[in-house]
Amino acid sequence: MVALVRAELQKLFTTRLWWVMLISALLYSGFVLVLVTAFAGVSGSPGVPASPGRDTPEYQQLAWSSGSAATLFVMILGIVMVTAEYRYQTITGTFLTTPRRGRVVTAKLLAGLVVGVLFGLATLALTAVVVIPAVSLSGGEVTLTDHGIPRIAGGVLASVALYALFGIGLGALIRNQIGAIMAGVAWVFVVEAILAVVPALRTVGKWTPGGASNALINVNVNTGLGEFDLLPAWGGAAVLVAYALLFAAVASLTTLRRDIT
Amino acid sequence: MSAIEIRNLFKSFGPVKAVNDVSFTVESGTVTGYLGPNGAGKTTTLRCLLGLVAADGGTALVNGHRYAELDHPLTEVGAVLEATNFHPGRSARNHLRVMCTAAGLPADRADDALAQVGLADVANKRVAGFSLGMRQRLALATALIGRPKVFILDEPANGLDPAGIQWLRGFLRHLAHEKGAAVLVSSHVLSEVEQTVDNVVIIAGGRLVHQGALADLTANGDHGVRVRADEDEKLAAAVEREGGRAERLGDGVLRVRGLDREAVGRIALDERILVSEMVQERSDLQKVFLELTGSAQNGSAGEPRPQVEWPQPRSTSGGDA
Repeated sequence: MVALVRAELQKLFTTRLWWVMLISALLYSGFVLVLVTAFAGVSGSPGVPASPGRDTPEYQQLAWSSGSAATLFVMILGIVMVTAEYRYQTITGTFLTTPRRGRVVTAKLLAGLVVGVLFGLATLALTAVVVIPAVSLSGGEVTLTDHGIPRIAGGVLASVALYALFGIGLGALIRNQIGAIMAGVAWVFVVEAILAVVPALRTVGKWTPGGASNALINVNVNTGLGEFDLLPAWGGAAVLVAYALLFAAVASLTTLRRDIT
Repeated sequence: MSAIEIRNLFKSFGPVKAVNDVSFTVESGTVTGYLGPNGAGKTTTLRCLLGLVAADGGTALVNGHRYAELDHPLTEVGAVLEATNFHPGRSARNHLRVMCTAAGLPADRADDALAQVGLADVANKRVAGFSLGMRQRLALATALIGRPKVFILDEPANGLDPAGIQWLRGFLRHLAHEKGAAVLVSSHVLSEVEQTVDNVVIIAGGRLVHQGALADLTANGDHGVRVRADEDEKLAAAVEREGGRAERLGDGVLRVRGLDREAVGRIALDERILVSEMVQERSDLQKVFLELTGSAQNGSAGEPRPQVEWPQPRSTSGGDA
């Protein structure tokens, strides 16, 4: 299995997509980070409480959570790790090398976890590079061990890593690359957004991958949307893993068994 | 135990019986040509054999095992399927290295295989820039990295230029006759493999129509001796007297059956008839092939019949098929 995981990582790092996705993930979470930093302490309109200032621990909590923006790109990378094999028909060679197809998916999930952790660490590194100077310059006290920052950073790392698994499961289920990416992106931007904003649906929302990711990160800063109904952090991790395993298991019984013609 | 053994294999795609009760074996040290028109069921048979397509019935074994049961498949079977099985953004060497890693083979096998197929110079080039022929060579390299003793190749000559086809013929013969490998190679063009194969298995409309040594394919049938003589009428009469049958084809040409060339020559000498040409007729391999596959196509009434376009022997050699 170690050999198969190494082979999967080799597949990923011998094509260009991984760094395109890494740069995109860093740009996007960097963009969120810049917004949070630039508008720190600014009140949008009368009556709305101002977002926390750069010298506050709350700003640091919000800023550290911005890395979760990378989950989208990790999900796409996970999807492509499976669907590209069908798109370019490399799946033939993969299954000829490893005829037990379930082992291929397991190896991809493990490799995805490794890649997800690497992406998570890269995002956290970017956050540190912005937050630490921003807080220092505005006279605040940089905290890395207090105010729940380690939990938030850990939550970002875990949710970024687990979204890779989610993507792989989704890709195994929907072999068509465009279809799988559309489904994933539509889910993140449309379905989850609706579930998060409509109060009546929030109890459902906490069981979605996005809700699970929020549970992992759990920043208790009022952003104007009210309190979120969230699972405990371990529950969030379990939900994300469960999605990946469920998709992979369903895929093993359906799409993966199909004839490769 | 045969290197490849296919017994009563069945596979349908919806209403189409792609493979209909196919059985044959391939022995080590021989090259077997698996021939038939496009859509005859060749690729489906090979994909069943490689565990990529699940058969509806029957067995397909390599070295006595189902492919999916092999612990180290790349070291037992080398397979070449379609030419497009590569990620365009990955280099030739990295494609092979990934397979080496997954199969637990040393990484230097990648360079060995590339050298064997003549791609060492472009090892680090991305596959996107490869011609069809280069992809076909790379596909062959993937079959070589495990140094197997069984080779299964689906239309490996597609996209190769004439020199490439020549090289492939020699390479397959070398693998079988000198390395003792069992080679099963499919083609829809008989002339592509006729100089390479020892045995032929011919399939049409999902059914086997012929199986045996290549030589048997032309041996059957009553072949004549074609003679051009200045006094063909006189020669014909002499031949009939000696127990042969002569058929006048016009323009001074006779086809003689029932006598061999030497006998015909002796009659002509005795009768003092000038002979300007004498040829032993053989069945045209391509014609026999067409007759075999054509009749099976017509026999499969009730099934959707694929439109068979029969290319001229050389037309697929050089172009981007």
